[in-house]
Amino acid sequence: MLHKSPAQRVALAVFGLVLAGFFLFPTYWMFTTALKTPAQILSPAYDLIPTTATLKNFVNAITKPDFATFITNSLVVTLGAVACALAAGLLAAVPLARLRFRGRKGFILLVLIAQLAPLEALLIPMYLIMRDADLLNSLWGLLLVYVAFTLPFTVWTLRGFVKGIPIELEEAAMVDGCGRWGVFTRVTLPLLGPGLVATSVFSFITAWNEFLYALVFMREKDKQTLPVWLSSFKTAFGTDWGGVMAASVIYAIPALIFFLLVQRKLVSGSTAGAVKG
Amino acid sequence: MTSTVDTARPAGTPPPAARPGARRRARRPLSETALPYLMLAPAVLLMLALLAWPALQVLAISFRKLDLGELVRGELKWVGFDNYTAILTDPEFWVIGLRTLMFTAVVVLTTLLLGLGIAVLMRHLSGWVRVVLQVCLVLAWATPIIATTTIFQWIFDQQYGILNKTLVLIGFDSFKGYSWFTSGTSTLAVIGLLVVWQAVPFIAFTLYAGLVNTPRDLYEAAAIDGASGWAAFRAVSWPSVRPLLTLVTFLSVLWDFKVFTQVWAIRQGGPDGQSTTLPVLLYLRGIAGSHFGVAAAVAVLMLVVLLAVTWRYMRLLIRSPETEL
Repeated sequence: MLHKSPAQRVALAVFGLVLAGFFLFPTYWMFTTALKTPAQILSPAYDLIPTTATLKNFVNAITKPDFATFITNSLVVTLGAVACALAAGLLAAVPLARLRFRGRKGFILLVLIAQLAPLEALLIPMYLIMRDADLLNSLWGLLLVYVAFTLPFTVWTLRGFVKGIPIELEEAAMVDGCGRWGVFTRVTLPLLGPGLVATSVFSFITAWNEFLYALVFMREKDKQTLPVWLSSFKTAFGTDWGGVMAASVIYAIPALIFFLLVQRKLVSGSTAGAVKG
Repeated sequence: MTSTVDTARPAGTPPPAARPGARRRARRPLSETALPYLMLAPAVLLMLALLAWPALQVLAISFRKLDLGELVRGELKWVGFDNYTAILTDPEFWVIGLRTLMFTAVVVLTTLLLGLGIAVLMRHLSGWVRVVLQVCLVLAWATPIIATTTIFQWIFDQQYGILNKTLVLIGFDSFKGYSWFTSGTSTLAVIGLLVVWQAVPFIAFTLYAGLVNTPRDLYEAAAIDGASGWAAFRAVSWPSVRPLLTLVTFLSVLWDFKVFTQVWAIRQGGPDGQSTTLPVLLYLRGIAGSHFGVAAAVAVLMLVVLLAVTWRYMRLLIRSPETEL
């Protein structure tokens, strides 16, 4: 299978490009629609490839009141949740993978079962907890909720990655005079790169996408996040497709930047560590 | 990473992992025993407070009558299994439950086949075509759910959607002004396509990582032995992909069974509730209908179904020697 005839190569390449087109098309269509005027969008003409472009939809979206607040809120909550989930997850993953202690299996079971729960179902008790803790309308409250949502997956996956590091490497560093902390920062942490990327992508997507809790918990306008903002483009009079698409592009850009920053490790690592039990 | 560990493990990883810990514990008892608990503390506290505690409350609420009135008055009204009998004797629940399982099965199967196919294909593609395909996959993966859902609504729009326009252009005139959302099956098909489109990149990259970790000489050895195509795949690729495939199947079942945002955003479970799935039912009864007790019971039943579906794999995970030290 490694030695292919030219015809086979061309056939495979064509097939690959068709698939690429299938996955590219919705994104492509979002970009091109965002560049159209309302008249173009509602015209019956066939317009798969646009001939003219306007930036008016983007200008409208950005100059909407509170746009800067929404995007700041989303960034703060998402990046904060990613950082906290990574820190707490890593701290828990190391002893789960390396140390023997009472209650270890129970904790692993908790982590597994936590991933089964339908999160929409927790909305009411969560609302009451947040209300009693005075964390409604607080970015901290939403951040904590997202950390809790992503922790089980993070702990579980990172634990697999830690186990994947040959213990001999850590022992060798200890023999060479490294302390616990030195072993961790000089040996374990650098080798965990792909695992940290895989789990941070997961928490980023979860927090960046989350809509229901953001909608219910953040009733004050200056505390809302981008998904809620995006839903405001649909009015009772129908959808302003150009506006929604421009807003979607803006909404997708930070996620794209994040993915591009981590992509090299992403493609090589993904969840390779998670199968290690 | 997978292959290094797989080959290293039988050589005796578990014993050295266990011994140093035991040795140190004998020397420095207190700090050693406390250390793992201290490290686990932040994660445990967060998960107990914001997952386990609300989950227990949901369980308790499922045995209560809790509508808006009781919630405002802070009233405790225990009704035993009333919520459960109400749901389980409702024929609609069984229809919706079965539909959710079917939807999950079809979506998971399609995602896995497509993801595995693409992973294998990526391995055989020449440089630049593979990069193009990977970039397109990453774009699809990174586009936020609500944005994607809106794009799909726009593509499938009755009057101005590009899909109908294209179909008319190539000669299918009956698609002029065709609505894709008049029947439950067709609505669910669109939602399914949307979910598959979003889920495939993760699956493809994960499996591709497993395939890349298979040493090339294994394929060459297989080729020398006369194994080609399917036989080579089964003998060489399959063993390294299988554990990853099991894992992503497990995760896909969890995620696709609980899909809510997309189903809700596309048609709120319509037309006439024909594309309603269990998470939508939960939302309709609970948040929209303010019958929190009934919604909690639906949630508990969903958890039971998921446990039943994934039980074998969970048990495998817990019992496997991998969870031992």
